[in-house]
Amino acid sequence: MGNPKVGNPANGSLEGRTFWPVDLSELIQAVDKAFDYRGDVTLELRSGERVKGYIFNRNAEATLPHLQMYLMGQAAPRLIPYSEIVTVSFTGEDTALGKSWESWVKKKESERKAQAVRVEADARARGHL
Amino acid sequence: MAVSLSQIYTVTKYVLTQKIKGVERYPLVLMLEPLFRCNLECAGCGKIQYPDHVLDRRLTPEQCWAAADECGAPIVSIPGGEPLIHPEMPTIVRGLVERKKYVYLCTNAILLERKLKDYTPSRYLTFSIHMDGLQEEHDQAVCRDGVYDVAVKAIRAALARGFRVTTNTTVFNDADPERVRKFFDAMMELGVEGMMISPGYSYEKAPDQKNFLKRRQTKELFARILHQPKRGWRFNQSPLFLDFLRGKVDYQCTPWGNPTYNIFGWQKPCYLLQDGYAATFKELIDDTQWENYGTGRHEQCADCMVHCGYEASAVNDTFGSLKGFSRTVKATLLPTAR
Repeated sequence: MGNPKVGNPANGSLEGRTFWPVDLSELIQAVDKAFDYRGDVTLELRSGERVKGYIFNRNAEATLPHLQMYLMGQAAPRLIPYSEIVTVSFTGEDTALGKSWESWVKKKESERKAQAVRVEADARARGHL
Repeated sequence: MAVSLSQIYTVTKYVLTQKIKGVERYPLVLMLEPLFRCNLECAGCGKIQYPDHVLDRRLTPEQCWAAADECGAPIVSIPGGEPLIHPEMPTIVRGLVERKKYVYLCTNAILLERKLKDYTPSRYLTFSIHMDGLQEEHDQAVCRDGVYDVAVKAIRAALARGFRVTTNTTVFNDADPERVRKFFDAMMELGVEGMMISPGYSYEKAPDQKNFLKRRQTKELFARILHQPKRGWRFNQSPLFLDFLRGKVDYQCTPWGNPTYNIFGWQKPCYLLQDGYAATFKELIDDTQWENYGTGRHEQCADCMVHCGYEASAVNDTFGSLKGFSRTVKATLLPTAR
């Protein structure tokens, strides 16, 4: 798929990469990757507009292939036709990265405790504890 | 009996009605996810890995009620995220109870004792407490010390106020069958109405990929856990599903049995896989290519034996043939003889 801006990171995450699909087939692949990605994605549209948000749905088989994304601060999702998309950039933090069971186990006991404390403090700060 | 007679009657009437009407694909339990935000980060959970602006989104009570009305399932399970974080959860539950839905509010119980005053005991409302084992196993599974004790205290408080309380337990592949059996004893001693158990599912996005069960391992483990079940154990689920877990019967998945509605819409095809979203329940049922999912049909379904796919299959077996019905009656009346 055309010209990723940066090389594949060693951690396997797509975070930081940009795709310039050259045809519909590549665009479908890029959007599928963005759909699977657990972080925000930025799309550059043919109009020059850049939209950043979370892609939660896509339909490449519809009469008008499109995706749906939630943009920060907007209640309703935005529908974007594939035909408007120029680039797909994985700009948001990959929220699933670095949380594997192996990495949890590999961490020293002190680090695991520190992580558990951080999660608890975060929940407390939000008023969820 | 772990499930109330009124609930059994309601579900039986509902399933028979669907069969008489010739409805091929009917929902049994609506999985309603009003939010993904949680106050824990359990290693086995693949539901909470989203950006903050997504975690901060909530379904409104009206959206929740509309989903329940549209779907029509007699049971509504409310997982998440942690439902008790949702400020309008009491309103959501009240509306579902008014619709005579049997609501299972799934919670880690950290906030339960504090929030009990916001709810009214009802035969339609059950608090389903996440308990993954005895203290050591549970606190490890939820990655925080002390949660088991908090949950036990909350269970006692809920029972004292007259609420229906069950437990829901994910059994991981490193489980010690004897410890799980002791856990069942402990929960029964605590006085919960019944227990729900299920093997884990290896979420693609879940931190804990290694500890989920393969199919054969699942059957072997559950056969040991459920070998000569004690008379006092009560399970809040189909006895045929338990037989399925321990390899005594085989089923194909019924992914439409537990349809999932959340902030993204109706999830295709099931509670565990995310292959896209439908805007309406009808669209979910009509447009999902169901033949592509289930054991032997989809790589991500290969090792799955989770309740949200197979409990509906077990219930369908009960009402689908005299043999299935008689097996269910026998398993219900003579659980220790199995």
